[in-house]
Amino acid sequence: MRIRTIALLLILFGMLVGFNFAHAQNAPEASEKGKQVYENSCAHCHGIEGRGDGSAAENLLPKPRDFTRGLYKIRSTETGQLPTDQDLFDIITEGMPGSSMPPWDTALSANDRWEVVAYIKTFYDGFKEAETPPKQINLSGKVPYAEQSVETGKALYTELGCVECHGDVGRGDGTSAPDLTDEWGFQSWPANLTQGWNFRGGSDTEDIFKRFIGGLAGSAMPAFEGDSFPGFGLTAEESSRMIELDNKDEMTEAEEEESAQLYEKYDAAVDIAVNLAEGTELSAEEKQIYDDAMSVVYEKSWHLANYVKSLMPEKRPEPAIGNNVLRSQYIQGELPEMDDAAWETLEASYFPLVGQVVIEPRQFNPTIDAVNVKSYYNDTEVAFLFIWDDRTHTTDETDEETGKTLEDALAIQFPVKVPQGPTAPKPYFLWGGRLPVYLWHWKASAPDQVTELTAKGINNAGVQEAQGELQAQGTYTNGQYKLWVKRALKTDDKKDLQLESGVFVPIAFSAWDGANGDVDTKRVMTSWYTFVLEPVPSSKRFIYPPLIALLSVGFLFGLRAFVQRRNSEEA
Amino acid sequence: MKSYLLASLAILLACCFVGTAFAADSGSGEMEMLVFPEAYKAMKVNNGGTISGVVKFEGDVPEKAALEITKDEKVCGADPKFDESLVVGEGNALKNTIVYLIDISAGKDFDEKAKTEIDQKGCKFTPHVQIVPVGARLTMLNSDKIMHNVHIFSKINKPVNKAQPKARRKMPLKAVKKAEGPVEVKCDVHGWMSAWVSYVPHPYFAVTNEKGEFTLEDVPAGEYKLGYWHEACGTNSKAPVAVTVEAGGTVTQDFTLKMK
Repeated sequence: MRIRTIALLLILFGMLVGFNFAHAQNAPEASEKGKQVYENSCAHCHGIEGRGDGSAAENLLPKPRDFTRGLYKIRSTETGQLPTDQDLFDIITEGMPGSSMPPWDTALSANDRWEVVAYIKTFYDGFKEAETPPKQINLSGKVPYAEQSVETGKALYTELGCVECHGDVGRGDGTSAPDLTDEWGFQSWPANLTQGWNFRGGSDTEDIFKRFIGGLAGSAMPAFEGDSFPGFGLTAEESSRMIELDNKDEMTEAEEEESAQLYEKYDAAVDIAVNLAEGTELSAEEKQIYDDAMSVVYEKSWHLANYVKSLMPEKRPEPAIGNNVLRSQYIQGELPEMDDAAWETLEASYFPLVGQVVIEPRQFNPTIDAVNVKSYYNDTEVAFLFIWDDRTHTTDETDEETGKTLEDALAIQFPVKVPQGPTAPKPYFLWGGRLPVYLWHWKASAPDQVTELTAKGINNAGVQEAQGELQAQGTYTNGQYKLWVKRALKTDDKKDLQLESGVFVPIAFSAWDGANGDVDTKRVMTSWYTFVLEPVPSSKRFIYPPLIALLSVGFLFGLRAFVQRRNSEEA
Repeated sequence: MKSYLLASLAILLACCFVGTAFAADSGSGEMEMLVFPEAYKAMKVNNGGTISGVVKFEGDVPEKAALEITKDEKVCGADPKFDESLVVGEGNALKNTIVYLIDISAGKDFDEKAKTEIDQKGCKFTPHVQIVPVGARLTMLNSDKIMHNVHIFSKINKPVNKAQPKARRKMPLKAVKKAEGPVEVKCDVHGWMSAWVSYVPHPYFAVTNEKGEFTLEDVPAGEYKLGYWHEACGTNSKAPVAVTVEAGGTVTQDFTLKMK
């Protein structure tokens, strides 16, 4: 009896575990249902046959994945391996930030998502042919985030050449960035590592580690498999010695011998790694060499992941609404110049940009994430600092299709007249309409100049005849533009916006990335936000309230005296 | 009324056919590939014949324009670099043409001593066209002491996208299992670098030298189709040249290629 109960429990337990495992690792067999869900929800972009050529694909970049080649960017598996079912399920569920792939967690039930996983696997035979499950990246040796680790990672960032594409401080502005293509020949921009919220597969340290070790298959990002590391198979000391010797202009005989020996060890370890990749069985000794080498590689990779993590804020900044509205700060005396340290102490307000998709030509694939703004004002003037990331510095490039000149630019938009009250109509956000807008237009080719425009529509803007005395200064360093603008609060020009402390003023932005084909209406922009010259609490607050309090008290005393006197008279 | 319906249906169907026909046509405009035999058996070849010849270019040779070196000028820009998609030498000799046997099913084995390397020197791949036996490793050399990134755009085999940091002088790549090619080799760090690699199942492939010359040796006596591939001039896969090789004999077959 007892044995039977135990056996029954065991079977039940086994079923439960089996069921869970199936759901965690294996999608169901491809079914009619999966096909149906795929064709309803996925085929518009990914194509009926999974070639990434659906009707919407033409306008998208990054392009929708072509499922027929088995190349998946976001995986928990090693280089050259297929993704696990869970990887595919997670991507469908969470979407890919910074691309057109939305999360499907609410639009599709979990069951439907598993059905789709099974269905997209039918587009590539490799899934069926695979004899063993894909090899997952080992995350067990995680190095905790610490200053020392970040420092080590920073050195590796240069040593391994990350800087060539991702740039000196990680803004995706490396010198090789503009030329990169993916496996299908489409433009492939390197990630801006300071904007973790746009990472396709998440920006946890583990995510970064996995992308680095496993590579983003199909994109221009290479995999840093073990043997890509200089000095693979050497200890940390040996590999730095090897590099040190390498960098010498001349070596003594002894040094040459030393270098040759290190290289021999290095080459031998590489040979083992390639043998393993080709499927050769390793001897116990070889396995030991390989494992030792990989543990050095994995440790270094964790340092690098920690460094990349250090480049980004903890989370995406909140947009400039509610408490985060852009508040220009009052100061007495001269407003700070562009390089003044006073700007460092101000928090920036974050204005996320989106592609302009209302009017042809549209921009479906924005490359500029946001513009960050700081502002000071004094009794007569206001100064702004606009900061935005752009991977390329484009001042004069010709668009092959239209023959138009492409260049980086920014426009700051205000209404000509501030709407009176929160419900009063604002001009149309696309550069005005019936109600006109007032614009500051800046171009990278003339960085120290801002042109004032008046517009009554996105294709109906004109340069103001009377250009006021706007001062401007623009710079581009390490993938980032900074534009400083200063203007008088009040001007004589009726077409200009007049500014007054304490009044909420609508503000909006347009930006152009020439290298992304942005020109005219093809641009990124915001709708209306608000900014205000933060009123200074008046110094009169130290006079009037006490005075009124004093008067009130006096009045009460007087009243009391009066009542007392009347009462005594009546008595 | 019914006939109208039928007629419109017919027209619609016709449109569909024409549409698909055009679609199929546009697909074939892609890079032209080599043709490989379905199976190949290695054996000892006694008293084989030789096929040799010269490949020449016909037409106006575009002026050599130096490539724009956009980074690492010290290493990459030491001497001028030129586009190598069409290298025409003295007497219109056409370099970098692959000449090969399309339909050979048995013949000699690969020469094991043959080096299958591509060097990255002065930010240029040498050679520009390389033949690698299926199952052999292609070794990437880095003589530059700067970072390169080897990106091989294979479609049948897994593409390779592998960083080769500066201390990585010699990087053997995993052997591939399937015949394919030519596929382009690029360096993502230096966008102008380009080469072609072919993974082949038999050793009867030759690449023309500066003089446009090629030689295929130890060919078993028999009749063969002789094919060529050139980056800018395309292939003759649809109409290869028939050659008859006699035991111990030599066949001469020259080609004259035009821009495709």
